[in-house]
Amino acid sequence: MSVLLEVEDLHVWFDLQDGGELHAVQGVGLRLEAGERLGLVGESGCGKTTTALAIMGLLPPSASVAGRVLLDGEDVLAGGEATMRPHRWTDVAIVFQGAMNALNPVQTIGSQIVEALELHGRARGGAAQARTGELLESVGIPRERAQRFPHELSGGMRQRAAIAMALSCNPKVLIADEPTTALDVMVQAQILDLLDALCRDFGLALVLVTHDLPVVAQLCDLGAVMYAGEIVERGTVDTLYHAPRHPYTRLLFAATPDLDDSTGPIVSIPGSPPRLDRPLEGCPFRLRCDSAFSACAARPVLRTLEDGHAAACHLNDAVRTAAPA
Amino acid sequence: MRGADYVIKRTAFAVVTIFVAVTINFALFRLAPGSAVANLSRVPHATPELRHALEKQFGLDKSKGAQYVLYLKQLVHGNLGVSFANEQPVRSNLRTAIGNTVPMVLLGTIFAIVVGTLTGVVAAWRRGTPLETISVTTALGFYSMPTHWLGLMLVILFAGTLPTGGMTNEFLLNPSWWTHVKDVLSHMTLPALTLGLVLYGEYTLIVRSAMLETLGEDYILTARAKGLRPWTIVRRHALRNALLPIATLVALSLGYIVAGAILIETVFSWPGIGRAVYDAVLQRDYPMLQGAFLVLTVSVVFFNLLADLIYFKLDPRITQ
Amino acid sequence: MSVILHEPGAVLEPEAAPSRGGVVWRAIRRRPSAAIGLTVLLLIVLAAVLAPWLAPYGLHDQVGAVFAAPSWSHPLGLDDGGIDMVTLLMWGAQISLVVGFAATLVSMAIGGTVGVLAGYFGGKVDVILMRITDYFLVIPDVPLMIVVAAIWGPSLFHIVIVIGILLWTSTARVLRAQVKSVRERVYVKRARALGAGHARIVLRHVLPQVAPLLIANTVLTVAVAIFDETALSFLGLGDPSRISLGKVIENAFQRAAISAGAWWAIVPPGALVALIILSCSLLGGALEDALNPRLRVAHLSARTFRLRPLVGRGDSAV
Repeated sequence: MSVLLEVEDLHVWFDLQDGGELHAVQGVGLRLEAGERLGLVGESGCGKTTTALAIMGLLPPSASVAGRVLLDGEDVLAGGEATMRPHRWTDVAIVFQGAMNALNPVQTIGSQIVEALELHGRARGGAAQARTGELLESVGIPRERAQRFPHELSGGMRQRAAIAMALSCNPKVLIADEPTTALDVMVQAQILDLLDALCRDFGLALVLVTHDLPVVAQLCDLGAVMYAGEIVERGTVDTLYHAPRHPYTRLLFAATPDLDDSTGPIVSIPGSPPRLDRPLEGCPFRLRCDSAFSACAARPVLRTLEDGHAAACHLNDAVRTAAPA
Repeated sequence: MRGADYVIKRTAFAVVTIFVAVTINFALFRLAPGSAVANLSRVPHATPELRHALEKQFGLDKSKGAQYVLYLKQLVHGNLGVSFANEQPVRSNLRTAIGNTVPMVLLGTIFAIVVGTLTGVVAAWRRGTPLETISVTTALGFYSMPTHWLGLMLVILFAGTLPTGGMTNEFLLNPSWWTHVKDVLSHMTLPALTLGLVLYGEYTLIVRSAMLETLGEDYILTARAKGLRPWTIVRRHALRNALLPIATLVALSLGYIVAGAILIETVFSWPGIGRAVYDAVLQRDYPMLQGAFLVLTVSVVFFNLLADLIYFKLDPRITQ
Repeated sequence: MSVILHEPGAVLEPEAAPSRGGVVWRAIRRRPSAAIGLTVLLLIVLAAVLAPWLAPYGLHDQVGAVFAAPSWSHPLGLDDGGIDMVTLLMWGAQISLVVGFAATLVSMAIGGTVGVLAGYFGGKVDVILMRITDYFLVIPDVPLMIVVAAIWGPSLFHIVIVIGILLWTSTARVLRAQVKSVRERVYVKRARALGAGHARIVLRHVLPQVAPLLIANTVLTVAVAIFDETALSFLGLGDPSRISLGKVIENAFQRAAISAGAWWAIVPPGALVALIILSCSLLGGALEDALNPRLRVAHLSARTFRLRPLVGRGDSAV
């Protein structure tokens, strides 16, 4: 299986209004092969959305980026916007949050899909309209709805339309940024099933950015947990759920209330994430961790523990200085 | 028809507003203390016949209520009274005046819209650069200048090169049509330029603000993600959406331009409706004043309604 | 408190609970345009207030020939009555500013009341008040001012009232929107639940929150009021016994200053008015900007994100 998407040592900084910088993404690395589904999870502000946007180069002028983004082996980040733009939509496509105004309100949804098709030379004119109809049907929208404006569709339908548009140019990688947030539960399930089916049918690689762990459990096989701009643990979803090797991962998964088991205590993680406008000293999770010890004063490095499983925590250090008396 | 009831509602509102304006017009001129219409001794060189005719015309011997009804009846028949100054029907005076104002105002407005949109888009596009600061400051500068003072400055600057007073050169006897047109255009240049400069400042700020707002919308990010070129995004997505607030604000401002023309026409002695208002005030020509005021108010209502309808046409989200 | 980075559309600054006076002051400090506007405005106001002591000559003293050109003793020349222009400017600014502020006060009083009542009580009160506002909005201001001034007679008092009556609508609208949003805030609901009377709630909870926006709107209204006064004076409807900057321009215009080539009688007074209006616009605009933060990240702009060399610290597990 070829590696479709590879991200190496990605850093993103944002200029702040009063001078200074926010180091939003601190050395993130990802690897995705065809058909794999990676869930990128973490709390609000951990940098997962920024990472997703950086993969496509969709950052504002106040951003600075370092690192490598390799699509089929080619570093598309090297030339900045100029090298990024040719790969958008045809190699990597994105679906945004349901709550966002992601579709142009004064154009019909059909015309917006046609625009993508015509731009990338997939179809023109009547053929484009026909293809648009097919795409809409494939996501469960009757093709006549192509004439409708976004506000005339429900939230769930808009998301489906956005998904149809994202797949219109046959990308190899699909990024979904909180695709089901702000949708009601029934619709959430439908969208997730839709994504599942489409990824399977088209052999897409999926990067699912979310803070919602059950969604990751349902849809993804691989997971990466982000905290304070970096990946603190990576592995299969199973491993992360049942055998986490980072306290944050453990607490994160434990914090999700289990409907079936209402007797256990509600776990929450006290405190808040560290400020990213200053350099961090030591492990960023240190102050909220329940297992912090002396070694945590030094910043841990994401290290492979076993095949496909890596964590950034001193608890996993092979050599410990303390010895029982 | 989509949103028929919206159109009907706005039109009805406009009609009611005109009615209110008419009533206010009546109240101002008949009921206000010291209202000279009621005081016929103030009418310049009034012969007994004229006084009698005026009394009949205004129904001043009747009660206020009856006067109001009479006034409304006359309005419906298009009778706006007779001017004290030149003893012509107010209606024809106004028609000539409006005919003189509209081309001048149109020229200035078109200039302002074109230049204002260009500078506004550039300022938004080049946000954070010195170019933006210069554009915005210049626009703000022109916007802050008192209209009549700007006109006077232009007079000072161009006194030798362009005509600075009146609409035509009175010494041209029996000019050909083309000569006449050129003559009028040369006289129109400075007043239209004054209006254009003051307006362009305002429009630049409006366009820039609308564009900035639009460029921060999520669908712009989607357009970028689709791989569209920046300028295509600006043209097809941003401008089209920014057109909404821009069009409505411009249409709204048109209603007030006619009023602002008063200052310009006074400076340049342009025989338009603004000058008519000014002269009427000087000469205490109350029928003209009342008629002109009514016309101006109706024009504002009309342009407001136009703004509503444009917004309705451009925004598919309005359906109720 | 941590600096939280949100999804696209982020506000990239730390949030802080704004103290009321603090908001205004911080907004001014942050934006150079606001600081410039405030400084220039204060300087002009100072000069105008101190006119009786600072003016180099008497306001009614003829010190030279009609329309005498600028010279060392008279940097801005003399006007149509032989009076020193600099003196005229200072005294004129005084009257113009007085009219501007007074008219704004009137408009604030009306607009503030209407806006707060409409926003706070909502419902029928709101609808009626907004209808009235709509009708007022439609009437073209300059013609109405002309007509009322013509009928009522020119005096400073009348001018102030006339201008004030036309300017209140924007204040009313802005305040109404703000009051409506404040009304829904938690502490207001709490106060209502505790049984506080309407007056108390408005005075203690609502007004302090809307005060900064009111200040921004006031400053912008002053700009319009001064413009209106200039316009009225130019059309001969100003108070003949007082010399405002508008009157100075009008006098010069009437006495054919342009034909006499006396640009110094026209350009400086108008430039001063423009400067006052500009400073008010800069200050008011910046305040409004700060208080209505629609600080969105532009998703598209001429500049793009920048590249930096590889850092090398990060991921060793790839």
